[in-house]
Amino acid sequence: MAAKTATKKEKTIKDAARRIRTAWKNGKTTKPIRDVLPKGDIDAAYAIQQINTDIWIDEGRRVIGRKIGLTAKPVQAQLGVDQPDYGIIYADMAVVDGDEIDFKSVAQPKAEAEVALVLAEDLDGDQLTLLDLIAATAYALPAIEVVGSRIANWDINILDTIADNASSGKIVLGTRPVLLDDVDLRMCGMVMENKGEQVSIGAGVACLGNPLNAAVWLARKMVDVGMPLLAGDVIMTGALGPMAPIGPGEVIEARISGLGSVRAVFSD
Amino acid sequence: MVDIAKLARTVDTAAHKAKSIPQLSEKAKYSLDDAYAIQAASIQRRLDRGEKRNGMKMGFTSRAKMIQMGLNDMIWGRLTDQMMIEDGGTISLENYVHPRVEPEIAFLLKRPLSYPCTAAEALAAVDGVAPAMEIIDSRYRNFKFSLEDVVADNASSSSFVVGPWHRPDTDIENLGMIMEFNGRPVQIGSSAAILGQPVRSLVSAARLTAEAGEGLQAGWIVMAGGATAAEALRPGVHVRNSVQGLGSVAFSVTE
Repeated sequence: MAAKTATKKEKTIKDAARRIRTAWKNGKTTKPIRDVLPKGDIDAAYAIQQINTDIWIDEGRRVIGRKIGLTAKPVQAQLGVDQPDYGIIYADMAVVDGDEIDFKSVAQPKAEAEVALVLAEDLDGDQLTLLDLIAATAYALPAIEVVGSRIANWDINILDTIADNASSGKIVLGTRPVLLDDVDLRMCGMVMENKGEQVSIGAGVACLGNPLNAAVWLARKMVDVGMPLLAGDVIMTGALGPMAPIGPGEVIEARISGLGSVRAVFSD
Repeated sequence: MVDIAKLARTVDTAAHKAKSIPQLSEKAKYSLDDAYAIQAASIQRRLDRGEKRNGMKMGFTSRAKMIQMGLNDMIWGRLTDQMMIEDGGTISLENYVHPRVEPEIAFLLKRPLSYPCTAAEALAAVDGVAPAMEIIDSRYRNFKFSLEDVVADNASSSSFVVGPWHRPDTDIENLGMIMEFNGRPVQIGSSAAILGQPVRSLVSAARLTAEAGEGLQAGWIVMAGGATAAEALRPGVHVRNSVQGLGSVAFSVTE
């Protein structure tokens, strides 16, 4: 009986993973995933994400890093969770600063301004701390994450977003590396504009108190799940302010004090 | 005919006694010009009691707030020495109706500033910039008011506190701001929320005060406007605003 239940759950997870994958491939949306999972079953949601990670890697997508989601306390409270989540960043998601992004390439796109960290060393090992993270970090970059959701109307809870690779879409990285010595990642001000109108304002502290805190959580989590962060990986640490909607043809610019600026340009 | 003196007495007494009042506009119909005349007359009553004028404050400097209020310009209010709290000082809620605090940037002027002026000319009149906080406290019940009401009520200004002064050429365009209650962040933002760049607020301050026939005076403090939403004060709380590169400013509320 137990075996039969397990099999049934496995099938549910596989079906849900296929549903996400198909929506992603076709640039479409699907119904929420949470409805087919046990309430609050975060492991099941990550199992869905992992199936797609394995398949996508087999298909040739190259992993270049991770993103951290749900790093704002108000967003965690809104979703009733006390932890962030993570998703995989693939090479095909990386866009060069100012390059045009096909508006249709991300379902229901929105923009977030973030601090990206790039690693010089692997972060593998037990009981990693902030000291390991600082020692392993090569530099920081300003970044825009174009988040998207394969779940219709962004009607998500924690399970939906985890299953959907943490609602990831594209990442645009700034081009001037900054050493951790030269920027105050807790205090740095952030303003994001769309056609000169402010669409999001915040500061480093909005990301779990400090983007480095979020990165430490991620480093530990990646060791736990057997996919440790590696030298060269990029970490999208989480939003510094509210996410902002994007329309066709729009240009989003994020400026982070001490890190510089970066632009996400969308086609009509 | 609007009885400016009578309405000024009403708002001034409400502020002086920390007692809320119904909106003035419920009883009297008056224009925005009348509202500024009421404000000026009510501040004159303070000066007659011995207070000294030492600056002005800008209000509605966030575009989002302006749009939300259906406005196309900022408002301003007058500051006096009695409204100033010492950095690190303590206040009692007894002296307020329903106070809220917001994180700001302050300018100190070393010479008068008239209008028209460029941003560069405005900055040339600045002696220093500092992290600051303003305590806003509408004298109207439930913090509800029309545009004219809030202007007559000195743009809700009640108290202000200014931290350490920094050189006027400090870049203040996009400084992270964290306002904490008892060490925990309650508002997070950036100085960019103040008209995209607080210096624009200073230029607007020169324009608005020039239009009122006053201009900005040497030695005055200009509070550039709130960088985040305001947070309600409560007894026993320690309030601090930290601004990237500018240090912090703080005060406490008695139990």
